Amino acid sequence: MTWKEYKLDDTISKSTEIIRLWQTETGILEIDKNTLATPIMLNDKRKGYVFHGQGKLLIDTIVETEEGAIGKSLENMLNEPFLMLGVTEDLQKNLTKATEEDLTRKGYKNSQELLDKAESLCNLFFERKLNSHENTFEGRGLVFAFPNENNKLDLLVAKDSKIVYKGTKLVFVSKGNKVVLKIPGEVICTSNGRSVTIKK
Amino acid sequence: MPNVKLRRMKIKLSENLKEEMEKLKEEMVSLKEQLRDVMEIKRRKGRGIYIDIGDRVGDYVEDVMEGVAEGIHGELEKSIFIGPKGVRILRKKKRHRRDEELKANFPEVAEVMSALGHEHRLGVLYELMSGGKYINELQEKLPEITTSTLSSHLKVLEEAGLVVQEKVRGRYLITIPGRTTYKMAKRVTKFLERRDKE
Repeated sequence: MTWKEYKLDDTISKSTEIIRLWQTETGILEIDKNTLATPIMLNDKRKGYVFHGQGKLLIDTIVETEEGAIGKSLENMLNEPFLMLGVTEDLQKNLTKATEEDLTRKGYKNSQELLDKAESLCNLFFERKLNSHENTFEGRGLVFAFPNENNKLDLLVAKDSKIVYKGTKLVFVSKGNKVVLKIPGEVICTSNGRSVTIKK
Repeated sequence: MPNVKLRRMKIKLSENLKEEMEKLKEEMVSLKEQLRDVMEIKRRKGRGIYIDIGDRVGDYVEDVMEGVAEGIHGELEKSIFIGPKGVRILRKKKRHRRDEELKANFPEVAEVMSALGHEHRLGVLYELMSGGKYINELQEKLPEITTSTLSSHLKVLEEAGLVVQEKVRGRYLITIPGRTTYKMAKRVTKFLERRDKE
C-alpha cells in the first residue's frame, strides 16, 4: 500500500544496540537493542521506519514561571509500534536483518503480521497528515507518531532545538527561551523569563 | 397708639425667636458632640469593618446601622455580625468554606507540612527560590548535607509536589506550591521574631 509516494518495504531489520533516535537539551527518544524496524520508502529511498520493541521517550515539559515551575517531565515507555520520519542514514549502521526468531520474540507469527501492523499505523498517520499541498515531510526535521489509548496519534516534531509535542492531555511547544504548555484547564506561555497563564 | 402696641409685640416676638434660635444652636452643638463621642468607626485590616456604636445611642441609630450592614451584606455577600456593641462585617462564609476544605484534606496538608518540617529541606527550598539547580549545585550550596541525604530530602519534597525534577536535564525546580509553602515558612520567621521580643 502506498500513501502518495510513501510505501513500506518488506525488509525487516532489528537494532543491534541501544539507539538514540533523537536528543536535545530537553528531550530524548531511544530504542533498545533488538527493536524491529520496518523501513518507510519514498522514491526508493529510506525516509523513515516503523519501530516495534522497547523504547523510551523523555521530554522536560516543564515551564518555569515567576510563581514557580508548572508541569512535569513526560516519560513514556514505547512498547507499541511507532513511526519515525526523518534522517535515517546513520541509523542503518546500527540495524541488521531480523530473523524469524526476532519476530517471534515480539509476538509475531511471520513478517506479514508485522507489516500489517505497520501498515495500519501508517494509514492512521499518512491519511490525516498528507494533503494535496504536501507530498513529503522533507525539511521538517524528525516526525514521530505514537498511537495512544484513544486510537489516535501523539505527535512529536523536532527540528534543531525546536520541539512540538501533541499528546492526549498535553501540548508542548518549545523554541529557545519561548515555551507554550497546554495542560488540562491551563495554558502557560513563557518568553525570556516572563510568563502568562490562561486558566479556564 | 395701635402702632406702639404693634411695635412692642414685634420686639417681644423677635426676642422669643432669638432665644429659640440660640436654644436650637446649642442643641445642635450638643448633638454634634454627642454623635462624635458615640460613633467611633474603626477599620481593622483583614478583619472587615468594625463600627462601635456604644451604649448611649438609641434604637434609631442601631436601626440605621443595621440597614447599612444589610446593604453592605447585599453588596459584598459577606457575613455580618450585628452585636449589642456594634456591627462587624466578617468574611465568615469564605472562612468557613476554607476550614471545611482544610478539614477534608488533613492528611494531604499534613504530608506537605511534614515535607517542610526539616531544616535541610527548608534549606533546599531556599536555594531553589533563586532558580533551578542540579544536584551538584545544591550540594555545593549545602555542604553540611551528604549527597545521599540530599537525594532523600529531594525525594520527599518531590513527592509532596513542592519540587519537580527535569528527567532529561536533571535540574530541580521549585513549583508554585513549593513557593507558597516557602512563603509560609517566612511568615513563621516573623512570628518567631515577635515571640522572641516578648
